Amino acid sequence: MIHVEIINGPITPFPSDNSHQDDGAELVFNGRVRDTEHGENITALEYEQYEGMAEAELRKLAEETMQKYPVHNLFCRHRVGKVNVGEASLHVAIWTKHRKEGLEGMSWFISELKKRIPIWKWAIMEDGSRIPSECTHR
Amino acid sequence: MITVNVKCFSQVMYALDTDILLIELESGATTDTLEKIIRDRADGKLDGVSLRTAVNQKYIPDVVELKDGDEVAFIPPVQGG
Repeated sequence: MIHVEIINGPITPFPSDNSHQDDGAELVFNGRVRDTEHGENITALEYEQYEGMAEAELRKLAEETMQKYPVHNLFCRHRVGKVNVGEASLHVAIWTKHRKEGLEGMSWFISELKKRIPIWKWAIMEDGSRIPSECTHR
Repeated sequence: MITVNVKCFSQVMYALDTDILLIELESGATTDTLEKIIRDRADGKLDGVSLRTAVNQKYIPDVVELKDGDEVAFIPPVQGG
């Protein structure tokens, strides 16, 4: 089963319960906002998405992950909007029969997410200015 | 003539100071022609920035001919996660 969503607001984790009786591995990843970007202090990141395309690409990526690895369930929530330092911007949960394919599948999914899902971040600096996080034209 | 909607994100938005542009092109114009127009308008701010092209919310691997009403985005390196 796949569940992906892009949300504007705090992430509620997917429930960890005893219902996955065929799966020996449950992996959870939380990506959180650090307090620096390229060595400069920030107060938050503001995530921007290409609405429509971002969620469609995320679903396609989840489907590819489940074709490439024996993953039984892949759930993903990605935040957009302002995410303060320390808060989670990404939450992924994967269930597999064994840990090895789960770890590999999780790593591949997140690596690909960072290459192809049209989501960007703007750094909110301590002075309140807002710049694309990779931009050098300040 | 055709008109296309260009959606601008991240560095492209920053360089052009807008999130959407309506651009008129000659019939038969292609995505590479449009990308050159966008880069020219950015006045050097997109030099060295790799851009992937999406038409109607799908990545395209090659240059394609644009149609009237197409939604186009030149996607700078993404940063999700």
